[in-house]
Amino acid sequence: MSAGFDFSNHSRNTFLSEKGLKVPKATSTGTTIVGCLFKDGIVLGADTRATEGPIVADKNCEKIHFISDSIRCCGAGTAADTEFITALISSNIELHALSTGRKPRVVTAMTMLKQRLFQYQGHIGAALVLGGVDPSGAHLFTIHPHGSTDKLPYVTMGSGSLAAMAVFESSWKPDLSREDALKLVTAAVSAGIFNDLGSGSNVDACVITATETEMLRGYVKPNERTQKERTYGFRRGTTAWTAEKIRNLVVSEEITPIGGEEMDTS
Amino acid sequence: MNSFASRFIASSAENEIRQAKAMAEEEGLTDAMWGSDAGFGSLVTGHAFNVPAVPDPSAFLRLHTDDHADPNCKIKIQHGTTTLAFRYKGGVIVAVDSRATAGSYIASGTVKKVIEINPYLLGTMAGGAADCQYWETYLGIQCRLHELRNKERISVSAASKYLSNLVYSYKGMGLSMGTMICGWDKTGPAVFYVDSDGTRLKGDLFSVGSGSTFAYGVLDQGYSWDMSDEEAQELGRRSIYAAGHRDAFSGNTINLYHVQEDGWKFIGNYDVTKMHYEGPGPDVPGAPVGGYGYDVRTHGRFSVLPTAVPA
Amino acid sequence: MPNMSAIVHPQQRHFNPYAENGGTILAIAGADFTVIAGDTRQSEGYSIQTRYAPKVFRLTDRAVLAVNGFAADGNMFVKKVKQRLEWYKHAHAKDMPLRAIARLIQTMLYAQRFFPYYVYNILGGIEEDGSGAVYSFDPVGSYEREACRAAGAAQSLVQPFLDNQIYFKNQTAAPGRSHPSHLPLPDVLSIVVDSFTSATERHIEVGDGLEIYIVLAKGRSLQGVEGLHGLRELSTQEDGERVFVLQRDLKKD
Repeated sequence: MSAGFDFSNHSRNTFLSEKGLKVPKATSTGTTIVGCLFKDGIVLGADTRATEGPIVADKNCEKIHFISDSIRCCGAGTAADTEFITALISSNIELHALSTGRKPRVVTAMTMLKQRLFQYQGHIGAALVLGGVDPSGAHLFTIHPHGSTDKLPYVTMGSGSLAAMAVFESSWKPDLSREDALKLVTAAVSAGIFNDLGSGSNVDACVITATETEMLRGYVKPNERTQKERTYGFRRGTTAWTAEKIRNLVVSEEITPIGGEEMDTS
Repeated sequence: MNSFASRFIASSAENEIRQAKAMAEEEGLTDAMWGSDAGFGSLVTGHAFNVPAVPDPSAFLRLHTDDHADPNCKIKIQHGTTTLAFRYKGGVIVAVDSRATAGSYIASGTVKKVIEINPYLLGTMAGGAADCQYWETYLGIQCRLHELRNKERISVSAASKYLSNLVYSYKGMGLSMGTMICGWDKTGPAVFYVDSDGTRLKGDLFSVGSGSTFAYGVLDQGYSWDMSDEEAQELGRRSIYAAGHRDAFSGNTINLYHVQEDGWKFIGNYDVTKMHYEGPGPDVPGAPVGGYGYDVRTHGRFSVLPTAVPA
Repeated sequence: MPNMSAIVHPQQRHFNPYAENGGTILAIAGADFTVIAGDTRQSEGYSIQTRYAPKVFRLTDRAVLAVNGFAADGNMFVKKVKQRLEWYKHAHAKDMPLRAIARLIQTMLYAQRFFPYYVYNILGGIEEDGSGAVYSFDPVGSYEREACRAAGAAQSLVQPFLDNQIYFKNQTAAPGRSHPSHLPLPDVLSIVVDSFTSATERHIEVGDGLEIYIVLAKGRSLQGVEGLHGLRELSTQEDGERVFVLQRDLKKD
């Protein structure tokens, strides 16, 4: 057994689709993920909707993944791929930090991710926004499924990227304050949430500075479900049954003590 | 088309009317659409169906509606059925299920698959629901016109041949019908099978649809010409139940009709699940007590549970 | 000798005049009323084309038509149905009865049997006998009268809920009691609103707004819902059947 991914199912799926049959479908996340540079570091943002075709599979999933204390990575594309690729690189970054004895750098994570993705020629369907602060400063990257990368002051990815980028293009400027950057990221992700059907629910945000990383899970919740008009309870005995049998599961025994003295248990 | 000739017509008003009529006819709008003729009026005056402007219209139709070839096609025409009809000494029994499926989704469980053409004729529905409903309604109109013209009812044979000839004229266009035309005429009870390929068969016993094999199994072993009315009805019901039980694309409820000399009669609607557990009721000869399927399989077989310990 | 069979005339290989514009419609018939509803989002792929495109239309004081599928076909179809009803009114000096409208829709859809309108129609209203009625159609005109029906993108989410709450499927009644055959209007409205808020939660193509049409039989009062916020009357006569529309917001994500 060789190491790495097993591609035997890929040829099976090709065979299946050639025969005109349905191919097993992975959960793909229509998503809005964004990131932008500000005065003291990086703000990352993401929506929280996960879809399976037109159905909302998860209304509140987490798309900002942990890489290291001051590096985080937003994932769009195949949910499983983004989840596992970030977990794997996070693990390797930790080992790398331990072996070098230095704080991990964003470029290192970026290089590890792009090399892994390129190796798999786009079959790992992960589109990522990687951001963080390291000794060389704040850095923000996008990484495409085939392994190409960009380094930019503000980035968006996923199906809602155009909506979000429209917000960045109209309002981003260098050296934003923390509050303004957070406001801008929220506006960008919200544009995706409301205008892209693949994105929805809440805004998750993450502010990374040289001194601390603040994960703001559920930073804005503009889409809470309203109270239902009716309560849907069912009377006991609603489900039909064919036979009824009642058994007594309690076995009662009568214990008669024999002999005078009790056992010494001390 | 004849605009050159129309330029030389004397009256300009007449000319205008003519032009308006020509325009209306090109759009498929006719006088008949105004009054009570509703949509059928346009058929009387030689209506043509609108067809897409492509080299092969039926390939276009197939591309967008054939969910067997392409499960992702947009327009899903409903499929999946069990229908049966048989002739015996007491008339004709017609029994059908009521399920309509689109892929694996049950689009409806309350479809009327017996089409009441007129008080003496019944048609069954398998294949395209709209094709059957529309053309059998249309057949009803033609049967009535036959009555008015000839002062006597149309024979089942003639009615079925009318339908057969009609669908044959659309052969290759994508109609999908498998129907049994059932009735009672001068010759007695009659059943004809007609489908959209142009097949027309006279016979004593037919079953059509995805569940037909299951229905035939019960039907063939229980059939005899000399059955009583109750036995015949029970056979029809039991056969559709069998198909509803084993065929995923058939089920929900059974509709049962009986055709006798004085026309057809609706016998009843029966829930397939209820038939499985409870059966059709106590006063049906030959029907098992405790349902067609449940008691016969489970009676005395509750050995999974150990004998109860008395409390 | 060139291979003649290889020389072919240019042919249009791809003709796709259809799109899917999402959204969901539903109708429920009561004893002496009918409720017909639809969301107002129109989408294609992951984009919202508009947040307000009505899918439910008043045809007469006793008939309302909901249309779902390909919006362009749907709008054209409704336009043509309205035209035919107008003609009928001029020829007969009365509105077409509901069951006749149902048959008219069948023939109009079937006239396009070989170039179908990609639309799912649900017709709701009041029958001549004063009962609430729902007719549902497939794209080529097969139709059936029912008590309730959902169609469109979230059909497979909403219909099972309706089967359970309206038809009481998979619910056994308490001993000695039976399920009601018709629910009162306030209950039906609650079920409709809950159907759409729930479909909005789990289907990306459903949302933005909700339009609920209520058709009341002759002489029936608005009992139980008269005070509802956003209720508007659309009927043209005081003493006949009456049509109301109720608008609600749905989530916009």
